[in-house]
Amino acid sequence: MINLFHFVLILTLIVVVISVAKIKDLLSAVILFAVYNLIMSLLWQQMRAPDVAITEAALGAGVTTVLLVAAISKTGRLEK
Amino acid sequence: MIDIVVHPNIYYFASIVLFLIGFYILLTHPNLIKKVIGLNVMDSAIFFFFVAVGFVSDGGSPIVEAGSEALTVNPVPSGLMLTGIVVSVSVTAFALAIIIKVYQHYGTINVEEIYVVRSEREC
Amino acid sequence: MKFRDTIVSIITRFMLPFITLFGLYLIVHVHLSPGGGFSGGTVVGAGFVLLSLTYGISMQERKFSHRTSTLIESGGALIYIILGISAFIYGQPFLSNLPIFPAGTPGRLFSGGFIALLNIAIGVKVASTIVALFDSLGGEDLH
Repeated sequence: MINLFHFVLILTLIVVVISVAKIKDLLSAVILFAVYNLIMSLLWQQMRAPDVAITEAALGAGVTTVLLVAAISKTGRLEK
Repeated sequence: MIDIVVHPNIYYFASIVLFLIGFYILLTHPNLIKKVIGLNVMDSAIFFFFVAVGFVSDGGSPIVEAGSEALTVNPVPSGLMLTGIVVSVSVTAFALAIIIKVYQHYGTINVEEIYVVRSEREC
Repeated sequence: MKFRDTIVSIITRFMLPFITLFGLYLIVHVHLSPGGGFSGGTVVGAGFVLLSLTYGISMQERKFSHRTSTLIESGGALIYIILGISAFIYGQPFLSNLPIFPAGTPGRLFSGGFIALLNIAIGVKVASTIVALFDSLGGEDLH
């Protein structure tokens, strides 16, 4: 038996990561990647691992996004 | 709470699917920043696998009072994965610094165009 | 590029004390609840990065300059090592608890010896590392 909320979150994760793979605009891909990390953090909080959830929400959804946006502003936005 | 009948090992299947999609992004996109995103997706899939190993259904959070007998999840795999998240962010920062240097040197971050520029410079 | 959005700046001004307070809560309550020096330090550093993104690098330079950040980063690691080595005075191994820090009652804030002090050192170091990482990866072009 599995919680329905976990199942919905896992399906959302897979849909979001497929859209990250398909999208051409790098800035949109980075924002979708932040959404992916946030949903992953929510799932870990539901799976009773609160310390990993806090660290992932601060590092994965915050710092990684800022670093990727900084790198994109230095290079180019469109993927050729 | 509503329960539905799914295979109980769906966490493992989901982490394998996420890992494979991340590997697909890493292999098939020529853009270096997209490759870094794929690497991060693979990292998250591995962390998800380890957290799912320690997960006990109907278990509580691993914050115990003295003398408590409540059922909790196993905190050891999630404790291991804390270090993994830190390593993942450090690798990302290092890779992005190298990517910015590559862009300043070659003028592009597309791998195939970098090969073209290198072959032109050697001639 | 001088683009300043009204909604973002007002929300930043409203949210920044709460972000910093939550980071400090995570650092200080390390031995009682989930969190710790690394997570709390990252939250505090992300607050400074948000300030620098919204109001420009000059505002952040006035509050928390690059030289100060480098000094604090080295100081955090130094405090950790000094606290660890000071157990040698009593003939104990590295990072043993000193007798001058009492164990206390489990569940209270002042308990657990010097774990909270060690994590304050880690949190200070990590917060300034996040700010220095953002600065040196070209954050000055972003605001």
